[in-house]
Amino acid sequence: MDVLLSENEEMIRNLAREFLEGECPTSLVRDMEKDELGYSQDMWKKVASELGWTALSLPEQYGGLGEPLQFLGLIFEEVGRHMAPVPLLSTMVSALTIARDGSEAMKSDILPQVASGDLILTYSFQETDPRLIESAVQTTATADGGDFVLNGKKLFVDNFNQADKLIVTAKTGKGLTLFLVDTGSAGISTEKEVPTAKDKQFAVIFDNVKVSADSVIGEIDKGWTTAEYMLDLGAVFYASQMCGAARKDFEMGLEYSKNRVAFGRPIGAFQSVAHMLADAVMYIDGGELLTREAIWKMDQDQPYQVEVSQAKAFCNDKLQHVTVYSQMIHGGMGFMMEFDIHLWYRRVASWSMRMGSTFEHRARVAQGILDTPGNVELGMIQALPA
Amino acid sequence: MDFGYASSQQALRQEVRDFIAENMTQDVVEEVHGRGEDGRGPLMNDLFKKIGERGWLGISWPKEYGGQGGDRLTQYLVEEEFARVGLSVGGGGSGAPAIMAAGTQEQKDYYIPRIIKGEISFAQGFTEPSGGADLASLQCRAVEDGDEFVINGQKIYTSSAHVSTHLYLMARTDPEAPKHRGISIFLLPMDTPGITVRPLWTIQNDPPAPEGTTYGTPRTNETFYENVRIPKSSLLGELNMGWYVGAMGLNLDRVGASRYLISVRRDEDIVNLAKSDSSEYLNIRNNPTVRDKVAEMWIEAQVCRLMTWRSMSIVESGGNFTYEGSAEKVWAPEHGLRATEAYAQMLGPYGQLLNTSANNVESGLFAHNLLGAFQSGINHGSVQIMRDQVARRGLGLPRG
Ligand SMILES: Cc1cc2nc3c(=O)[nH]c(=O)nc-3n(C[C@H](O)[C@H](O)[C@H](O)COP(=O)(O)OP(=O)(O)OC[C@H]3O[C@@H](n4cnc5c(N)ncnc54)[C@H](O)[C@@H]3O)c2cc1C
Repeated sequence: MDVLLSENEEMIRNLAREFLEGECPTSLVRDMEKDELGYSQDMWKKVASELGWTALSLPEQYGGLGEPLQFLGLIFEEVGRHMAPVPLLSTMVSALTIARDGSEAMKSDILPQVASGDLILTYSFQETDPRLIESAVQTTATADGGDFVLNGKKLFVDNFNQADKLIVTAKTGKGLTLFLVDTGSAGISTEKEVPTAKDKQFAVIFDNVKVSADSVIGEIDKGWTTAEYMLDLGAVFYASQMCGAARKDFEMGLEYSKNRVAFGRPIGAFQSVAHMLADAVMYIDGGELLTREAIWKMDQDQPYQVEVSQAKAFCNDKLQHVTVYSQMIHGGMGFMMEFDIHLWYRRVASWSMRMGSTFEHRARVAQGILDTPGNVELGMIQALPA
Repeated sequence: MDFGYASSQQALRQEVRDFIAENMTQDVVEEVHGRGEDGRGPLMNDLFKKIGERGWLGISWPKEYGGQGGDRLTQYLVEEEFARVGLSVGGGGSGAPAIMAAGTQEQKDYYIPRIIKGEISFAQGFTEPSGGADLASLQCRAVEDGDEFVINGQKIYTSSAHVSTHLYLMARTDPEAPKHRGISIFLLPMDTPGITVRPLWTIQNDPPAPEGTTYGTPRTNETFYENVRIPKSSLLGELNMGWYVGAMGLNLDRVGASRYLISVRRDEDIVNLAKSDSSEYLNIRNNPTVRDKVAEMWIEAQVCRLMTWRSMSIVESGGNFTYEGSAEKVWAPEHGLRATEAYAQMLGPYGQLLNTSANNVESGLFAHNLLGAFQSGINHGSVQIMRDQVARRGLGLPRG
């Protein structure tokens, strides 16, 4: 046991931080919020082919570097810290899902292209009933000769306009099946959603969209466990991004509290302000530890679902407080469009509602501890009920 | 990053558990629980001897002082298991870390092995009636007189003074100096002439809290010092530097298995009770609102554990925690309080019934915890003061 970062891990994080500090000013973040496409193609090229972020945690035999997810988690903390406008999260969640359950042919085709940065991916699950449960999926995939035909509507799809392909979860005869679909397929149309993060999100409508049988990921009708893996990756990497974003946001509040003077002294000398900041740093530390532990468990092939939900529920709840505290410390300035701090505030809020709300994740934690046989113990393995 | 136990550590943990299952028989449990009044009894002495034979006392203390020369993490693991049944085997306690760091060779040779064996235990005489948060304003005087110091004054909340062999005392040695620079620390036997111990009964005394009460402190004391004469060799560290010695000792004492377990034992209990089919607990498992709260508290408890693991990791890597120990001391007691309130509430009307009540559940454990949970946010550095430390020392914020 050693919950601190190793030298190697610190190096990974510092390299990512240095790169983004140089290349990702808030002016770029603001520009990309207004941009139609919404991501920096130049930065994407650099992070993929020069820094190797897309290859980092993919298997070596498919052009990856075979490093643990833990490393990728640290990258997502930095992506969140700098709000880097690149479709890394949606691409990696999808690619790792394919790496786990895709066919040999699909892996050999897709993963090397992801590793080199030549392919952008995204995933879809949630619908008008946004719960992350199997029965909420109403989109259908009907067998048609050797092919399938998709009908339905997915909501809250990240980066659809940037992606070459997307994963679709759909009902088939006796269960759920995942498909990898070209975003340009005939019969697909979109509606633009505008989240507080002002990053790119869409509803995607499937009207008799034909997909071939070899686009199935995993087994037909048995896609729920694959989908769960995908959703857990999404949840935990969003938690990483939130931790990174919240820490930066907090640091700005801290700095401001040391410089802004009221009643003849820095506002950070007032206990009510100082204690808000003390709470903030404890919330961030807590969220970070929970998130890193969850990803570590994924790397160890131990049960990880309760841990992922612990992390996302805690981050959703507490990291919003952190950003609100920072807004308050900035007084009226925090409310001004011109001042940067709202960039983080809006993102942490938005990300907290993606891939599972506080309540959904707590419900899952409750299942893990209350609906399983045997006694619980903190720090011991806790699987969800079968 | 490594969030797991090595297999050797897992095996050790199991070994300790088996030992506890075999040796913590009902009569021992009763003696341990009753020790607030009577000190350590014969069964406890036997038990500690056996624990010592296994090499589990003072694992991380150096061999030449009667420890095992092991690592802090292994000690933590063993400590945690014993803390679950209310036993402290760390060889820590307020005196030991400070003696190790600031003591003379003679003091170390004398005290450390005896502390580890449990033959010597220290009560801590810091707080005075005028206030504990602003500890450095203390008034109790120690005056040099030839080869001796003479102590006069009063302390309050001197817990365990009635069952401890020794006292770890802070007194003012230079009233002219700035308040932090005129304080010294002394180590003295409790039976030194001139010391009077009077009980202070807490709200947990009547009725007595049941066994397993997490915050069960039925009694503390006020202590009076009238011309108490002690040799100069009783001084710990340099004259007038006691504030710094004491602060370091307190900080070292804040991390560790027992403190964290105090705040989270009830989290495990409530979940395990809720799994039973007893009708008193059905509201917990079956009510979605309550389940949400249980999960929220469980997640907070995990954060308590991880903060402790972090402090352990820092100590193990030879680092200093600037604010992490204080953060733990804010987070864990406040969580303990939130959770205690929530769990009593989950039991509805059962949540209020004390030990002596008809129809109580778990001997009134949850009600008794409610009487004491807030005090862990007061003692050993209040949460307000600890938050200040996070802010000032950790975040570098200016003083008000
Ligand atoms: C069960 C129990 C056991 C104890 N055991 C021991 C023991 O063995 N040995 C020993 O020496 N002491 C012991 N104490 C004493 C304990 O350390 C003190 O109670 C504590 O330091 C607070 O001191 P006080 O009670 O005088 O409260 P005060 O110092 O009067 O504080 C009252 C309140 O004001 C707050 N406050 C004070 N200053 C500030 C500030 N600057 N900013 C914000 N808030 C502030 C405090 O946090 C607290 O909430 C024990 C206490 C308890 C309850």
